[in-house]
Amino acid sequence: MCLALVCAFVAASGAQAQQGPLQITIEEGIIKPLPFAVPDFQAETGEAGQLAGDLSRVIAADLQGTGVFREIPSSAFIANYSDFNAPVSFPDWKAVNAQALVTGAVSVNGTSVNVKFRVYDVVSGTNIGEGLQFSGTTDGWRRMAHKVADEVYSRITGEGGYFDSRVVYVSETGPKDKRQKRLAIMDYDGANVRFLTDSSAIVLAPRFSPNGDRVLYTSYESGFPRIYVLDVGSVQRRVLESAEGTMSFAPRFSPSGNTVVYSLSQGGNTDIYTMDIGSGQSVRLTNTPAIETAPSYSPDGTQIVFESDRSGSPQLYIMSAGGGEARRISFGDGRYGTPVWSPRGDLIAFTKQTSGRFHIGVMRTDGSEERLLTASFLDEGPTWSPNGRVIMFTRETQGEGGASSLYSVDITGRVLRQVDTPEGGSDPSWSPLQQ
Amino acid sequence: MSRARKIGNIVSGVGHVGFITFVLFGGLFTSRPDPVEVREASMISGEEFAALVEASRQPVVEAEEPAPAAPEVTADAPEVDLGVQEPVAAPIQDVAEPAEEPVEELAPQISEAAPERPEAPAEVAVEDAPVDETPVERPAEVVAPEPAPRPEPDVVQDPAPQEAVIPEETGETVEQPQEATAAPEATDRTVTEAAEAPASSPTASLRPPARRPSAPQPTQTVETPVTPAPSENVVDDAAVQAALEAALSSSATNTVPTGPPMSSGEKDALRLAVQGCWNVDPGARWAQTTVTVLMSMTQDGKVVASSLRMIASEGGDASTANAAFGAARRAILLCQKDGYPLPPEKYGQWQEIEMTFNPERMRIR
Repeated sequence: MCLALVCAFVAASGAQAQQGPLQITIEEGIIKPLPFAVPDFQAETGEAGQLAGDLSRVIAADLQGTGVFREIPSSAFIANYSDFNAPVSFPDWKAVNAQALVTGAVSVNGTSVNVKFRVYDVVSGTNIGEGLQFSGTTDGWRRMAHKVADEVYSRITGEGGYFDSRVVYVSETGPKDKRQKRLAIMDYDGANVRFLTDSSAIVLAPRFSPNGDRVLYTSYESGFPRIYVLDVGSVQRRVLESAEGTMSFAPRFSPSGNTVVYSLSQGGNTDIYTMDIGSGQSVRLTNTPAIETAPSYSPDGTQIVFESDRSGSPQLYIMSAGGGEARRISFGDGRYGTPVWSPRGDLIAFTKQTSGRFHIGVMRTDGSEERLLTASFLDEGPTWSPNGRVIMFTRETQGEGGASSLYSVDITGRVLRQVDTPEGGSDPSWSPLQQ
Repeated sequence: MSRARKIGNIVSGVGHVGFITFVLFGGLFTSRPDPVEVREASMISGEEFAALVEASRQPVVEAEEPAPAAPEVTADAPEVDLGVQEPVAAPIQDVAEPAEEPVEELAPQISEAAPERPEAPAEVAVEDAPVDETPVERPAEVVAPEPAPRPEPDVVQDPAPQEAVIPEETGETVEQPQEATAAPEATDRTVTEAAEAPASSPTASLRPPARRPSAPQPTQTVETPVTPAPSENVVDDAAVQAALEAALSSSATNTVPTGPPMSSGEKDALRLAVQGCWNVDPGARWAQTTVTVLMSMTQDGKVVASSLRMIASEGGDASTANAAFGAARRAILLCQKDGYPLPPEKYGQWQEIEMTFNPERMRIR
């Protein structure tokens, strides 16, 4: 009797537990690029025909280059896109397996260009965000394409893009023992290269300011390494004063843009300093007999990660932005250097040398979850994209004829690409998104 | 042992046993009032039920439609067709208008503008409402070549707004929004449920009840006008009709098959089907965000697309939650194909599904 009652009770409880929606948890998925389609934008004016096609190609290339998306070639299209205002035939796009669709229209009036676009989720048959348009000039059409791509990327991934950005780097020509170096600036994809200095003096390690209007770099123009600040717009530069007999190098802006952190070598000892750009006042942050260099601020400006061999081999350390006790965060085999804090604040990129190979890697700010993203004869000098999703770095090939070039890799390590530059390149520094 | 002590032990034992029994099984005997049934019993009298049965034998076309949920279904009338097309065209027009206007041109700089505010173009893009497929006419439904004769003037007992719906010009008697109207006039067309325009309205109307034992069959051709009823009977009919609908809906709810609890295998089948389409970008910020999605299902295992909504998110911000929801929605819709493999006899258990997408294991480490 009691047993029957207990059973009835349990059954009743079970029946009650089934009330409400069925609950399912999905914890495994697939990893593959999301297929998208960008039919050539509609040319709303006669002059816009060529531009409409070019814009569409740049947008598609931007998205495809991330590795997050896969473009569906226009030869597979069923739908005939020719009118921005016409309803989208989602079944036609579903039929070619497109999951995202970007449509747009371009009009040209003299030198002014107007681009409008929309993004669709083909699977659900809905818009992703509202329509948007940009206006500019014909010679800035690539920027407009990058801005459209940034918006598309942002709407689908929920994070900012990085296409409307630039990279300053050291352009290199000539053999290894007689290499000519000069500063150059380009779009993130290698287009619109412009040289900022001549090759009369060796230049190293250019670094963008937080808003992209200035560049810090090191030059041997005086015979010793010194830090210069260059205004990107006017290409005017000035030296940051340092004491006689010292060498200053590896500069980097603070997030505010008002302070520079750098290394200063004096009497055979190298330590880290900061300098207020306005007043020229310097503050010494480290004071050890070891070599301490390659400082980089955290995005909030409260901490600095740097490289030091105080433990006997180059390792990574973090200290307060005002100096003081530093804690070591790298403990793996090999030598660590050139740390750079991610714009997201969660990762630190670095160069690692181990077993005769160089790697670009990332780790958490506490040193955990170290992952090596690349491996080659020589990879070094990482710089983060504005959204913290991609790292650009220098890769140098082996041998006497070895040359330096720029590569990028995303933080999953799955998407490695060479960046097209007209000459060799090294020491890239990624700008923030342009305003 | 003394007698008093024995009595004490017995009393104590009986008390403990009683208390334990109450704790264990007391809840079983708690009454569970069923408000629905109680309410229905008080609404229908014997006479009313007889009237109901009588009324249900009449081919009342209006009884088929879930009136408030599907106004768009009346797409047969030309003016309603226009109404359907409007929301399709409207947002596109809106987009076009500002685009014509010269947006500020800052010479070398790119200016950003939010030109148009296409009001809810998402509605335009709803999968089941492609513009091209909006029908204008449905000649195949013509049953009687001639319009039925108009009813006697005193037959129309409707409230004022109903008159606008009377299809005198078209000769069609299609879904009338007022179900309390007297029996329909002669009609030359039969509108079956299956022939109705695809409903773009959401949720409940899309899920027909499993069984309606006493529901009238509207598929029969109405050859003769229904005999006009006296006005007081019309009022009674309205009340009866309402009671009938309530009873039917209650009955329909109760007839949703529930079956035994879902087995883990059945749940796994659904999980596997969805995760095959859940495309995770492990390097994205949204891969740090867990979202929970609620959706309604049809009995053939398909998702009611318009019912999909995010009910919770954890980690990240609003933009990453939206991106995570987008990926979840794509997964659910992409992999449903002809319907998820769910046991129909347990439909009551999965007619609503709460699916949580947790990318924890997919993150890069």
